[in-house]
Amino acid sequence: MPRTTTLECPGCPSLRALTFDVLGLIKVVEARGKEGGAPKVVERWGEPDSSKCVLAASINDRKRDPLFAVARKTDTIEVRSLVNGDLRFTVSNVSDAGLPPEDDAVVGLHLFAKQKLEQTSRSCTLLTCTTKGKVSMRSIEANESPAGSASISSSRTWSVCASGNIFCSKVDESENYALFGGKGVEVNMWDLENCTKIWTAKSPPKNSLSIFTPTWFTSATFLSKDDHRKIVAGTNSHQVRLYDISAQRRPVISFDFRETPIKAVAQDLNGYTVYIGNGSGDLASVDMRTGKLLGCFLGKCSGSIRSIAMHPELPVIASCGLDSYVRFWDIKTRQLLSAVYLKQHLTNIFFDSNFDDEALKPAVADTSLNSQSANETEIRDKEETLPLKRKNASKKDGRHKKKKETKENEGSGDVSIENDRCNKKALKENKGDEKPKLKKKSKRSKCEVVEDAS
Amino acid sequence: MGGKRKKSGSEAAAEFETDYENEKYINKENKKQKKLVEEKKGEILPSMIKNKEKRSAVHAKLKQEKKLEKRKKIKARDAAEKRALELGEEPPPKNVPRTIENTREIDETVCKPDDEELSVRVNAVDVNDLKGATNLELRRRRKKLFAGNDADEFSAILKREHTPKVLITTCRFNSSRGPAFVSELLSVIPNAQYYKRGTHDLKKIVEYAKNRDFTSVMVVHTNRREPDALVIIGLPDGPTAHFKLSKLVLRKDIKNHGNPTSHEPELVLTNFTTRLGHRVGRLIQALFPQDPNFRGRRVVTFHNQRDFIFFRHHRYIFESKESKQTDSDVKKAKNGKVEKAPQEKVVARLQECGPRFTLKLISLQHGTFDTKGGEYEWVHKIILKHRVPTTENEVRDHPL
Repeated sequence: MPRTTTLECPGCPSLRALTFDVLGLIKVVEARGKEGGAPKVVERWGEPDSSKCVLAASINDRKRDPLFAVARKTDTIEVRSLVNGDLRFTVSNVSDAGLPPEDDAVVGLHLFAKQKLEQTSRSCTLLTCTTKGKVSMRSIEANESPAGSASISSSRTWSVCASGNIFCSKVDESENYALFGGKGVEVNMWDLENCTKIWTAKSPPKNSLSIFTPTWFTSATFLSKDDHRKIVAGTNSHQVRLYDISAQRRPVISFDFRETPIKAVAQDLNGYTVYIGNGSGDLASVDMRTGKLLGCFLGKCSGSIRSIAMHPELPVIASCGLDSYVRFWDIKTRQLLSAVYLKQHLTNIFFDSNFDDEALKPAVADTSLNSQSANETEIRDKEETLPLKRKNASKKDGRHKKKKETKENEGSGDVSIENDRCNKKALKENKGDEKPKLKKKSKRSKCEVVEDAS
Repeated sequence: MGGKRKKSGSEAAAEFETDYENEKYINKENKKQKKLVEEKKGEILPSMIKNKEKRSAVHAKLKQEKKLEKRKKIKARDAAEKRALELGEEPPPKNVPRTIENTREIDETVCKPDDEELSVRVNAVDVNDLKGATNLELRRRRKKLFAGNDADEFSAILKREHTPKVLITTCRFNSSRGPAFVSELLSVIPNAQYYKRGTHDLKKIVEYAKNRDFTSVMVVHTNRREPDALVIIGLPDGPTAHFKLSKLVLRKDIKNHGNPTSHEPELVLTNFTTRLGHRVGRLIQALFPQDPNFRGRRVVTFHNQRDFIFFRHHRYIFESKESKQTDSDVKKAKNGKVEKAPQEKVVARLQECGPRFTLKLISLQHGTFDTKGGEYEWVHKIILKHRVPTTENEVRDHPL
């Protein structure tokens, strides 16, 4: 709900976030300075045009030359630089079936962070998923010639569902598995290496009145970074479900949250907390080990939440949606840190994790192949903010130490194949610990009456 | 009382001596005044007096005095204004009363005319271009800026590409004031058709209306034979607004009401300022044809004030009257300077017709009617945790 007076917001730590809206604009929101800085829109990329509405977006914020990909309503996918928004190349996503783009819009997009061995740094891999369930994985080679041209070096296309509409898709952290779900499509998981379906959920049984609620998944995510086997999914019938691939095909835990469909689900770094946002603007955090509601994020948010993003280092989450506000929340106190009004219905939000690093290393910009002037302005920006950033960085070191424990648990952030193997080993060990727990949980959930979260 | 008089200053005594012989009445008046002054010094409030008769007397006197003072002030102000006018100076600035409405703090969501993102075609207007453009052209462009709200669902209707066609229906059980209200709505909104609700699902009705090229669906909901809610659905994929309806007065209950003609009405939307208000305003605007028939002299008003939308329906007429020559005019005429031609004064007269009601937005839903799986753009939320508001306006939010 728009307020006539601003709430007393404590302000948020320095961060940088990208928002995408229905007019196809990309806005960069930055909060600078020490604790208490008010975030502002610093840049706006693109022209307002309703036909270029952003449907899905994905980010790859590696240290060197970070990129992000945007899928638009016009059936094109743009890959841009995260630093200054320069367009690297566009790919058209025209389907072979000849369906008009309205019927077969892109719902899921993933820009792979992992580089395949044979690929050069200039190329990137994209996974797209359309409403009709057509998934394609393409690696794209950017040409030397002016931005905008690109050649597809390899592509694989397969269909995820025969009928129904896909509404959510997600690729896990190791980028080996992807899950899809939607209206009339049970959550299913695919192995991206072999393009095979490895698991499908089973719809829950009829209730005591023998009424069957039709399947309609609206959002889904992997519960933890290093484990692809646990999935949290939100349904249109305002249910949040936890699936465990290794345990059973029916949900391990399921509970209701309020009365409107769950529109966004995001996982915490700790691997058990989940943030859920629904169609009437309620945002809450839930402990998925027990299915207990930890608390709601109270603020005057009254428009449907479309996207939730978790900051990779700070204890901050951001939510955005149809009320055209981006709101930053503190995880621990569940307090509103600040809200930015962005005028349009927002569809997606991402944090730029190496915002602080950037300030310390202005040399990064050299790698970009874009116009010189843009680079210059960028560098100047960095120089201006340099002293502040150093302070922050030093401050943040303390935080890093705090986070270290959790990070060690999660395994290293690098995603090379070797590391993956190591991770898998570690996973197995972890799994050994976790399995008995899980069984317990499942038993409990069976006897538990479905909890009313509200 | 005598003692008090003695206390009052020597000048008063002198005054008394001079006036004593003239009239006793004046004397009495003076006494009263003195007494008042005394009271002010001693701060004797009427509430301190225990005798009711005296108390009411004192109170009445105080009130009278206040009234006189006020009148004097107004007289002085008017005189100053008149003098300024005569001298050809600039009159003193008019006082504007402070109301809740005009002390409202403007929030960030209020649409500004120079807002870029409100319009889609802004980029066609270059700053350099504007410099070279003539005034008229500039205005036209500015207009385009305003009107270029192409992004939303209503733009096709508001740009007159389609004529609006409205389906009006009711809830399932509908009687007494409900049908009467619907029939009046039909007379207000041109190109509206009433369909019996029967037992059809609203979702089915929406589907049906979509196929029949309707541009909006209106549903009047009655509770205990009294209309209490109104749902407006934009088609084919426009938003759904859910209003609470109150204070309904039907045409026959309005004194001296007129009967509307079948001309297309003019539409007045006031105070839809914020982004949400703008959207609701456009939703309402899209119910009516965009080319009013000015010969019909019919006006439909939606006035937003503190989140309540007031609906009124009027007929108006411009009457040219010969203004009556007042005494001062006659005097001037005697002086022989003033022109003799009778002054023509145009007076607009209003006659209310059609229903009168108040709407309050409860929710605005993205997409068509869907209570179960709907996404809301805005919902009225009651937040239980309250902190003490710091400003007047913080007590209430103004989403519209």
